[in-house]
Amino acid sequence: MGLRYTPENRFAGWVDSFEETVIALLLGLMTLVTFINVVLRYGFNSSLIWGLEVTLILFAWLVLFGISYAFKITAHLGVDAIINLFGSKGRRRFGLLAGALCIIYALLLLKGSWDYWAPYAALDQTSGRWFPTGFEKTRDRAFYITDQVPMPEIFRWLEGLINQGEEYEKLPRVIPYVILPVGSALMLYRIVEVTIRIYRGKQESLIVSHEAEDAVEEAGARDLEV
Amino acid sequence: MDVAILFLSVIGLLLVGVPIAVALGLSSIMFLLVYSDTSLASIAQSLYQGMAGHYTLLAIPFFILASSFMSTGGVARRIIRFSIAIVGHLPGGLAIAGVFACMMFAALSGSSPATVVAIGSIVITGMRQVGYSKDFAAGVICNAGTLGILIPPSIVMVVYASATDVSVGRMFLAGVIPGLLAGGMLMATIFGIAVLRNLPKGEWLGWGEVFASARDAGWGLFLVVIILGGIYGGIFTPTEAAAVAAVYAFVVATFVYRDMGPLATPEGQPNIPLFRRPWALLTAFVHRDTRDTLYEAGKLTITLMFIIANALILKQVLTNAQIPQQIAGAMLSAGFGPVMFLVIVNLLLLIGGQFMEPSGLIVIVAPLVFPIAIQLGIDPIHLGIIMVVNMEIGMITPPVGLNLFVTSGVAGMPMMRVVRAALPFLGVLFIFLIMVTYIPWLSTALPTAMMGPEIITR
Repeated sequence: MGLRYTPENRFAGWVDSFEETVIALLLGLMTLVTFINVVLRYGFNSSLIWGLEVTLILFAWLVLFGISYAFKITAHLGVDAIINLFGSKGRRRFGLLAGALCIIYALLLLKGSWDYWAPYAALDQTSGRWFPTGFEKTRDRAFYITDQVPMPEIFRWLEGLINQGEEYEKLPRVIPYVILPVGSALMLYRIVEVTIRIYRGKQESLIVSHEAEDAVEEAGARDLEV
Repeated sequence: MDVAILFLSVIGLLLVGVPIAVALGLSSIMFLLVYSDTSLASIAQSLYQGMAGHYTLLAIPFFILASSFMSTGGVARRIIRFSIAIVGHLPGGLAIAGVFACMMFAALSGSSPATVVAIGSIVITGMRQVGYSKDFAAGVICNAGTLGILIPPSIVMVVYASATDVSVGRMFLAGVIPGLLAGGMLMATIFGIAVLRNLPKGEWLGWGEVFASARDAGWGLFLVVIILGGIYGGIFTPTEAAAVAAVYAFVVATFVYRDMGPLATPEGQPNIPLFRRPWALLTAFVHRDTRDTLYEAGKLTITLMFIIANALILKQVLTNAQIPQQIAGAMLSAGFGPVMFLVIVNLLLLIGGQFMEPSGLIVIVAPLVFPIAIQLGIDPIHLGIIMVVNMEIGMITPPVGLNLFVTSGVAGMPMMRVVRAALPFLGVLFIFLIMVTYIPWLSTALPTAMMGPEIITR
């Protein structure tokens, strides 16, 4: 059973390597910032005051960005004990059902993410409890800033756009939180994509049963050669 | 009643093949939307805060990264060489060395399947070559691999500490004695079997080999010293210790062992010394191998944290509805004492551990049983170790234990044969579980001795 994701064309390959690099970069930055802060504390008796907050933001970005990617390459963990009792046709039916349920999850999360992020971007939340039924006037929260993260110059244009021209002293929260709607939208897109693949019979399920599946396959192949 | 629906929906979703994270998240969202006035926006916020609001959980990506740098075949090989040098000459020596290697690798990796893959893929083949049966080899490694989550540093313990607000440092210390005990019991069992069945033993290679292999493996094993020494010396928080360990592991893998990165060469050829390519100091950071390791660790972090973040939403649901208090009340009024309670916890986790990824299971079960345990006067650290050991055994309990799968893949054996092969050692671990459950001293002695008695607020 080929579990490994293989890009279908050159563009997909480019996107794939872009996603991998972003994941690697986010984790690398988190590690470096934390490490540098330890070194600064002991070596130079100082610290990057924004270090921890930035690391936590990168952590959230890493996970929320990566969820969609993990759907694409079928890396999410699940229980396949029951579905494996069925034949290929039954497994595909379960796959479609699971896909539909995941789509519902992603849709709910997308609405929630928009509603949470929108006020920080001076936009309106959607009305309705389960489904967006339209937009409703929402109190503007664009003036909320992060605790310690300095404001990079390249984001100054945001001041005129959403903060009535007033200067941001720290990075506004609209930036870290933007990963919520972006991540949820990407997740929805990838789940739909995978569900279509299951429908077309190119794939059977959305899950793997444990994280070491690839490594086990390689080790098993090596063992046969011995 | 509504809570029963919540749990049934989680289980139902899991069984039809929905990812664990979505099963937890979707059930909780539905429950919150129907039974409370929580908005979707605040659920999205919880998901974001699952990462950005938990400093303790931040240790997880760093530990995973450190173990990814250390999980290259080279480190496993060095540890195995060191183990063979020390215990290889005993009856059943290679099998005992396998357990010993698993214990050391467990300390580096903190994950059970990873331990089985790294050590098992080398040791199982080696054991067959010197005349052990494949079943015996697989049974040994399958069980010893579970030590990965018990011997510190352990990701599952970080998750437990974060879910119940106990100290990570204490949890790590608490795992030391049980971890050594479990390893010792497995080794003693193998020794007994080896004497009875006259299993092959290796040759004593002399102290020279012990020292040479120790020096070679020492670079990797020093990682544990950094983490534990750093935490207990008061130098780092556990999170910082993990990040420092990750950077150290990168330096060792790239510049000392040179198994990866710009100084690595195809297997069999001598590595390139740094002075021949000094620019490697810079290129190492952008080298393909470094990127790939970061990416692999990132991928694992994402799948684990997706589960944990959703489990945190479920935890919130349970706490808001005061479920733990209700269950505690019901149990106390039914006259259950601590012993009966621990039996129930054991059963719950053994069954849960069959299906669920350990970290996710801990996030859900810990807040449920924690308040009850406190009321019954059970030590929180002790409870944590019990939960971890249960999870370990869940991994090797048929029909669907995780380590059984991994071993059957690594050894190229059918599942049922692995189950049979693992059974005698599973018995040993069961005795170990009973000991850990009913002798709290095993878990609490070391943390109390080193960090003083803990203060429990009820």
